[in-house]
Amino acid sequence: MVDQPFWITVISAFVVLNVMLIGMAYMTWFERRMLAQMQDRVGPNRTGPFGLLQPIADGVKLLGKEDIIPEHADKRIFLIAPLITFVTAPLIALFIPFGDPVTIAGQEISLAVTDISVAALFVIGISSVGTYGIILGGYASANRYSLLGALRSAAQVISYEIVLGLSLVGVFILSGSLSLVTIVNEQRQALDFFGVEIPNWFIFSQPLAFVLFMIAGVAETNRPPFDLPEAETELTGGFHTEYSGFRWSFYFLGEFIAVIVISLLAATLFLGGIDGPIKDGVWWLLLKTFIFLFFFVWLRATLPRFRYDQLMGLAWKVLLPLTLFNLLLTGFIVLERNGDTNVLGFIRDLLFGWI
Amino acid sequence: MEELTATHFLLLSAALFIIGMMGVLTRRNVIVIFMSVELMINGVNVALIGFAWEQNSMVGQSFALFVIAVAAAESIVGLGIIMALQRRIDTIDVADVRQLRE
Amino acid sequence: MSTEVLVFDILAVVAVIAALGVILARNPVHSAVALIVTFINLAAIFVMLHAEFLAAVQLLVYTGAVTVLIVFVIFLVKVDDLPEFYGGNPVQRIFALLIGLALLGEVAAAILTRSAIGASDIWTAEAIADAGGNAEVIGQVLYSEYVLAIQITAVLLLVGTVAALVLARPASATLPDRVKRTGLISLAHPRGADREVAAALPAGLEASRRGETSGVRFDDRGVILVDNAEAFTDQTAWGGDRLEGDD
Repeated sequence: MVDQPFWITVISAFVVLNVMLIGMAYMTWFERRMLAQMQDRVGPNRTGPFGLLQPIADGVKLLGKEDIIPEHADKRIFLIAPLITFVTAPLIALFIPFGDPVTIAGQEISLAVTDISVAALFVIGISSVGTYGIILGGYASANRYSLLGALRSAAQVISYEIVLGLSLVGVFILSGSLSLVTIVNEQRQALDFFGVEIPNWFIFSQPLAFVLFMIAGVAETNRPPFDLPEAETELTGGFHTEYSGFRWSFYFLGEFIAVIVISLLAATLFLGGIDGPIKDGVWWLLLKTFIFLFFFVWLRATLPRFRYDQLMGLAWKVLLPLTLFNLLLTGFIVLERNGDTNVLGFIRDLLFGWI
Repeated sequence: MEELTATHFLLLSAALFIIGMMGVLTRRNVIVIFMSVELMINGVNVALIGFAWEQNSMVGQSFALFVIAVAAAESIVGLGIIMALQRRIDTIDVADVRQLRE
Repeated sequence: MSTEVLVFDILAVVAVIAALGVILARNPVHSAVALIVTFINLAAIFVMLHAEFLAAVQLLVYTGAVTVLIVFVIFLVKVDDLPEFYGGNPVQRIFALLIGLALLGEVAAAILTRSAIGASDIWTAEAIADAGGNAEVIGQVLYSEYVLAIQITAVLLLVGTVAALVLARPASATLPDRVKRTGLISLAHPRGADREVAAALPAGLEASRRGETSGVRFDDRGVILVDNAEAFTDQTAWGGDRLEGDD
């Protein structure tokens, strides 16, 4: 862990949060352009070259809109709920290591804003706090559709959070740590795969966990095909039906930040983060994150929305058993590799010992 | 009180526990009673972890972890009971739950 | 006053105020929000006490799971404005306040005059850092000294899950299969359903059945108990006449 004064941490946190905000603004542009390409449309192209100024125009427009509060709404909760979603989402980026520590003017500076020993657990915890924005916003709107959206969101989040957390346990077992910095450093070693040297990225040793993490990540961020809480065609917007102006944009932007954060996390936890074939650095992390962002947009353009019972059934009947199976398998393999116990022999005795 | 001592944590713990206790004693909405119980459990956890910190021990933290696990089990059963209550006798007012008394 | 004490005081005061909010709020959802605030502040206090792992667990289990469940249940049950703090039994309230204050005074006296401090264990901040961090040390302690307790806790959680499933199971789950399939829900129900099925409903659901005089009844669980599709709506089914003898 790098020893640095408190004010440097504050500055780096400030920089990371602002980069997240800009990234989020251009994520909206990227999604609209990409979606348009996939659907054989043009997309926003009037403001600036390739419509690059569109996010700014949108922001100004949303700020200028009326902030409507429904008459029967639970006012205090109605006002703070969007902020919960908006504030918690970018906090997760503070745990991501953006590079090796650098030395500037004799002062060593960590490029991960914080490196605490249980960072991965905090990440999951913070993302679960973020969903209160949706749940409380849906409740406070005093609208049936919104409440339904909130209920769906509550159920969906509880179910998929379990999958999200448990799918990471395999990674924790292999890296022996909950700190994201240690997890990345672990992945930067080379792995000998039947004579071929490949990077020790956890996507190779934990492919099942990676798939499960991505599915649960899409569900956690309420993106299609898991956007049940805000399904336009059934719930007319779900939890944000009654929101307008910049409060609505807080939800909208919070969702985009969550998408970026999940992409960053997936790149960090499974694709080695800053590790790359030539010259490790933040550019590799950005490239991997971009691939995941494209994947999110691609999903939205490709897959229809799940039905609600399918969604819950998928989480509890398919994904959860698979995560537990993955956990069991990883545990066995690690024990066997360490030579602590003769696990395979034990299983063989258990199954065939009576013969 | 210049330094941070266990006294701080114990006072906080006592305050949380007693607030929770008063909630259990006075409220009639079973969900709020349930939340008050969670407050009491958290008060106990603060005390456990405070003592562990004071004595450089891990026993308190391990106990707090067990307390959290048991509280999670308690909460699913408790909320299940609340749902069953609503379903059977159509109320969540504890003063109305008196089938066994009558 | 050191910075540490100042930070602790802020966190503790917010936690206590939010805790008071839990028991004083009229609306259970406001109570739940106050509860979340308390939990998050306590998680921060746990970090101050070098219990990072427990802080994360607090955030995950309490704010992430337990309170979401509580809010979920608040949405599902009928939340009446119960007569409690406002117009409830004043004697109960005053007694609770007196007992609470007395207990607080007693405990505070005990805490402030506390003299016996147990012997220090080996896990100083340096020892924990050497062992690899808070989570590692907790893991070591849990899986060496408390293995049996861990196993029992796991069984307890399993039993709790099963118990919750049994408790929350809708009453219709206990009905015979045939009744469940044809007699209970349904808009998509085939026309001309046999009334014997509806008659086979147990006594508890009697009131929910479509009677001779009452109209369609929505059960509290949102299960629509009708004998046939026509009973659900006044409109005729697509392209069909009304059933003979209905209405």
